[in-house]
Amino acid sequence: MERRRFLLALALGAAGRSAMAAVDFAPVLPGRRLVFPADHGAHPDFRTEWWYATGWLNLPDGSPLGFQTTFFRVRTGVGEDSPSAFAPRQLILAHAAIADPRLGRLRHGERSARVGFGRAGFALGQTGVWVGDWRFALDGGRYRAEVHADDFAYALELQPAGPPLLNGQGGFSAKAADPRHASYYYSRPQLAVSGSVTLDGKQQPVRGKAWLDHEWSSELLPEGAKGWDWVGLNLDDGSALMAFRLRDGHGRALWAAATWQLAGGGARVMRPAEIAFTPGREWRSPRTAITYPVEWRLRVGEREFELRPLLDDQELDSRRSTGSVYWEGAVRVVEGGRELGRGYLEMTGYGERIRVG
Amino acid sequence: MEWRRLAPVFLGSLARRRLATLFSLVAIVLGVALGMAVQAVHEAALSEFDRGLRNMAGAADLQVVGPRGGFDEQLYARLATHPDVAEASPVLEVEARLVGRDESLQVLGVDAFVLARVTPQLLPSAAGGDRFAIFAGDGVFLSHAAADRLGVKTGALLHVQAGSAELALKVAGDLPAAGDGRRLAVMDIAAAQILFGKLGRLTRIDLRLREGVDAGAARHSLQAELPDGVLVETPAAEADQAANLSRAYRVNLTLLAAIALLTGGFLVFSAQALSVVRRRREFAFLRAVGLSRRTLFGWLVGEGAAVGLLGGVLGVAVGHGLAWGALALLGGDLGAGYFAGLAPRLQFQPLASAIYVLLGAVAGVAGAWLPAREAATVAPAQALKAGDEAALHGGRGHPLFGLALLAGGLVACAIPPVDGLPLGGYLAVACVLAGAVLLLPSIAALLARLLPGGGPVSARLAVARLAAAPGHAVVAAAGVLTSVALAAAMAIMVASFRDSVDQWLTQLLPADLYLRAGRAQSGSYLDEALQARIAATPGVGTVAFTRHDGLRLAAGQAPVALLARPVSADGDGLPLVGRAVAADGPAVWISEAMQDLYGWQPGRQVELPLAGKPVRLTVAGVWRDYARQTGAVMIDLDSYRRLTGDPLVNDAAIHLAPGADALRTAHALTALAGPGVLEVAFPGEIRAITLRIFDRTFAVTYLLEAVAVAIGLAGVAASFAALAAARRKEFGMLRHLGLTRRQIGWMLAQEGALAAGVGVLAGLLAGGAIGLVLIEVVNRQSFHWSMDLHVPWLSLLLFGGGLVALAALAAVLAGRQAMRQDAVLAVREDW
Amino acid sequence: MLEIENLSRRFNGRTVLQNISLSLEPGEYVAVVGESGVGKSTLLNLIAGLDRPDSGRLRLDGEDYAQYDEDPLTRLRRDKLGFVFQAFHILPHLTVVQNVALPLWLQGVERDAAAGPARELLDAVGLGARAESWPRELSGGEMQRVAIARALVHAPRLVLADEPTGNLDPANATRVLALLAERIRAAGAIGILVTHSLEAAATADRILHLTAEGLRG
Repeated sequence: MERRRFLLALALGAAGRSAMAAVDFAPVLPGRRLVFPADHGAHPDFRTEWWYATGWLNLPDGSPLGFQTTFFRVRTGVGEDSPSAFAPRQLILAHAAIADPRLGRLRHGERSARVGFGRAGFALGQTGVWVGDWRFALDGGRYRAEVHADDFAYALELQPAGPPLLNGQGGFSAKAADPRHASYYYSRPQLAVSGSVTLDGKQQPVRGKAWLDHEWSSELLPEGAKGWDWVGLNLDDGSALMAFRLRDGHGRALWAAATWQLAGGGARVMRPAEIAFTPGREWRSPRTAITYPVEWRLRVGEREFELRPLLDDQELDSRRSTGSVYWEGAVRVVEGGRELGRGYLEMTGYGERIRVG
Repeated sequence: MEWRRLAPVFLGSLARRRLATLFSLVAIVLGVALGMAVQAVHEAALSEFDRGLRNMAGAADLQVVGPRGGFDEQLYARLATHPDVAEASPVLEVEARLVGRDESLQVLGVDAFVLARVTPQLLPSAAGGDRFAIFAGDGVFLSHAAADRLGVKTGALLHVQAGSAELALKVAGDLPAAGDGRRLAVMDIAAAQILFGKLGRLTRIDLRLREGVDAGAARHSLQAELPDGVLVETPAAEADQAANLSRAYRVNLTLLAAIALLTGGFLVFSAQALSVVRRRREFAFLRAVGLSRRTLFGWLVGEGAAVGLLGGVLGVAVGHGLAWGALALLGGDLGAGYFAGLAPRLQFQPLASAIYVLLGAVAGVAGAWLPAREAATVAPAQALKAGDEAALHGGRGHPLFGLALLAGGLVACAIPPVDGLPLGGYLAVACVLAGAVLLLPSIAALLARLLPGGGPVSARLAVARLAAAPGHAVVAAAGVLTSVALAAAMAIMVASFRDSVDQWLTQLLPADLYLRAGRAQSGSYLDEALQARIAATPGVGTVAFTRHDGLRLAAGQAPVALLARPVSADGDGLPLVGRAVAADGPAVWISEAMQDLYGWQPGRQVELPLAGKPVRLTVAGVWRDYARQTGAVMIDLDSYRRLTGDPLVNDAAIHLAPGADALRTAHALTALAGPGVLEVAFPGEIRAITLRIFDRTFAVTYLLEAVAVAIGLAGVAASFAALAAARRKEFGMLRHLGLTRRQIGWMLAQEGALAAGVGVLAGLLAGGAIGLVLIEVVNRQSFHWSMDLHVPWLSLLLFGGGLVALAALAAVLAGRQAMRQDAVLAVREDW
Repeated sequence: MLEIENLSRRFNGRTVLQNISLSLEPGEYVAVVGESGVGKSTLLNLIAGLDRPDSGRLRLDGEDYAQYDEDPLTRLRRDKLGFVFQAFHILPHLTVVQNVALPLWLQGVERDAAAGPARELLDAVGLGARAESWPRELSGGEMQRVAIARALVHAPRLVLADEPTGNLDPANATRVLALLAERIRAAGAIGILVTHSLEAAATADRILHLTAEGLRG
């Protein structure tokens, strides 16, 4: 999804651009058929790529948690011909978070390293990416996420319910009218989660539902985009919805897209005009003083959902590593006053601090 | 309060003899100030060094270090994935020579990703907040100290030397958390490896252990995985090594300051002793009218304490001023070169300052103690009647005790160094000084007996006085003795050192020209192609190349320098100490420090970690090395290349072809690489520079010597001023008897000369002994080098003679006041 | 009262004083005369507590101090004795009034409180106007008058004067001796004047001759 690349664009900044000018990144072209399992693996010729898992978990006592596991792969364009084994050709950056209503904010951690020396790496032909002792891999038809942060850890197995959900035109996801701004993008909704979470030194079994995005591309965001809003929602009836929009500096939508996974199988790709994000209640971060709309009305075609956060404070401050601040949190999906499902909402570009790459 | 009530009785007296009080005060101020300055400067430098190291080590629990040339980067892969290790931060450290400056910059190649979790203090910050600019290859990030020193801003180009080529690095930002004290630059490790020709090499790995892993146990298990010559150290080890390295130098300087303080104590002693003699009847009267013995003693010691305390306070203030000046002018190592690349800041240290104030007070109290005790034990009935208050019974001293101390000093010389410090040597110095002071009366008596009794009346009177009342002379001479002993000892030591260094340089620099690619420890080198071009340069006859590296032989020990250069089997051309031993197989030539620190001896088989493998070598001989006090080993260049496969060298010694012009050849050699990259020097030049550095190092020593001598002279002047005032009646009587004023002047001059002469003579003897202790014990144990004794006879003779003449002059000047008094009046006057 | 019984003192085996006895009432002022070397100073030192007898008793107001240690002797001198010396012993770095006040300081009287009695005594010896002068500004006679004031300022029970006029010209000597006698009587103290001059001794109430045989009236 474009949003995550935005993070990296911010992060890589000048180094990326100046050095990248000389490097040929693989282009994202319409009409290329995604082939599995080959496309589950990494695509190191492209500039950026990520595996992004989010979802809801239930502790044995029934109380809910949100979780996020993100692995980025970045081809920097630097040191392509360098003989040094330390050359920062490919970087792996990982974020992980647990949304815990009892704590009232996120626990999060991050890892980053250049690929090499066993410190970090990725697999081709199958999902497999790791940095230190953090890893995310597809093994025997199940994804496995392992994270060890300072104040939490988890090891989760994510079991897909069906084939990948291709976004856009068969996985070609446009970000603007200009076809250069596009990515290859597929999702794995309705992942059945089981595993364990360790909080405050106490390990507990968990079960839940999750969502996985895998996306790769080489081009930056279209001009004028300041941020985006994204949702990945697992509905209780077995259907699922991915929707995003890009905003300009005034909060107006520049582009929007959505994909329905239908309950009985099959998918429906929505046109930009069929999608409307309407912000609702706002929450102001005491740490960064950034104001986020934490409740939303989302209209997709005929349907209109309300999004309500598991907790307000799901802001993730990663200024120390990737340099960005964003809101990534668990939300409930409500329609007509009834909870239909659960998912994740991501909002970026709401802070003055964010520099657009 | 009895103390307050009686203050005018005693302090009034102190104020009345202003000159003597002032001299005592000045001596204590100087002693305290010098000690304080040395302490403050070194504390500033050390704490800055320590802070720098702590920044560098950050949260690392352990550090893996190896030879200066580095070790294989594959070690990093092994350590980074080791189960005990939470984070491993690879570092490639290079001393990059700055083109066009006689300076180098510490450049650290790092992985910025790991820094955040191990050494966040080194995290770079790019201009404009570009967080990943560090990957942009040629970008360097400078600490504020480095940016200030080099005068470059972000965006500018920094020209450094790598190998024998010049590199232009872009200053991409700063190191906001690195502190202001340390000059260093950070860049991406991959770029550093490529730019400085260190592909596949690392010089250090900082490790953070997993929680719950014991550092000691981990150190053990990690060490087992490492090749020879690569060690796991605690981060504190390097700071300890630096502190140890400079400690001996620091303690030496502090000792000199202590001697200045001691001289101050002697001055207080002589001033108080004379004052007590003068005030004998005053004290007798006070005792008669009911002043208790204790109170009298307390007040007299209090007089000394007051002078000492004031001297201490002023001394601490002056010391901080001196330290500030010294830091600005000479740097944190007072010019000795231990803390290059640091910009220490002076900080007030309450504890050390308090100690130095206290030391001043102690010197005052100690000086006043004996005179006060003597005054308090005086029987008032006799003293009330005593005619001549100027009678000072110096007695015969304590010759046996003095001799015992001298013998004790001899024994102390045999004490091995304690924790790297030559404490036995210092003890011996103290014994010799104290013994000499105790023997002083005997020496004075001996001198008086040896001097001819005849001659002009003034001379006869002066000698008679020395024979009859040696006390006066002894009191004046004690200060002279201390300062002369110090000055002579330092002069002998420095002269021996300088002479030995000079000879050493001559032996070490036999060639016509020397060529180097930057400093020995820098990232500069001469590659094979350049070596060939050097050898082929017109005018060049034969070339001897040298490779420099540093080896880690034992955990906790500083690196040992490795020099690989052509060495003949018998060590010909090396400044050998003792004889060479024939070695079968490859030979290694070790410096004296290796003997002291590692116990290596000629003929023994030793193991050196070369290229990660243990190599057995035979110690073929010991050579003298004044350049590396942590030890150096030398092996033949061919052997080194065979054992390591390292084809690079750092410098070349060039013998000219017959008839070749040195200057023209030098130009041709310089032109082999870019401007400023290769340095060609003539041996004379190198010698001159080395000796200049040597002299700068000892500049502080000369200053201390001058101060000590000034203090000693002040002591003579002060004691004679005090005496002359007390002897006004004697002068009046002599005038009555028909002596001219000139004759009395002569008498005083000769008395002064005799007193100083006694002090100078004893001081020279003691100084010679102390000089030997400094050479044979203190230097050998502190710095691990020997030197040949070289006594600067002429200088010492001139110095001693000058001092005697100055003392005579001081005595005359001090006596003038008294001689001017009307003679008749002086006799009539009751006091 | 001062009672001396069978006082003896030997130096290096040589007997200097033997079996000296004497008894003096308060207000009594006696002169001790004798030839040089007869032991005048020794006797004075014994009475003054600056020396200890080999045998005999010394009692002042019933307190026997013949065998006192250093500290109690010092206290005795400080509290009960006053001294006038031939050599004046005026401290040059104290003012006239400070010199006079010195015995009071030693007794623990604060400096301010001691100044009053000192000035009174200075007035009494006719030097009230010179209180703030420095000793070097005084003549020999004036210095000895200061010394007399100092000897009496703390109201001692016994005043000892050792050749007080030895360093003075005859005119000044007469004036000083008269003043000394007057002040001792006025204070009601016991006075002992040691001198070799019969003229000086005549100013006392009674003259005692010290000879090798003993002390005779």
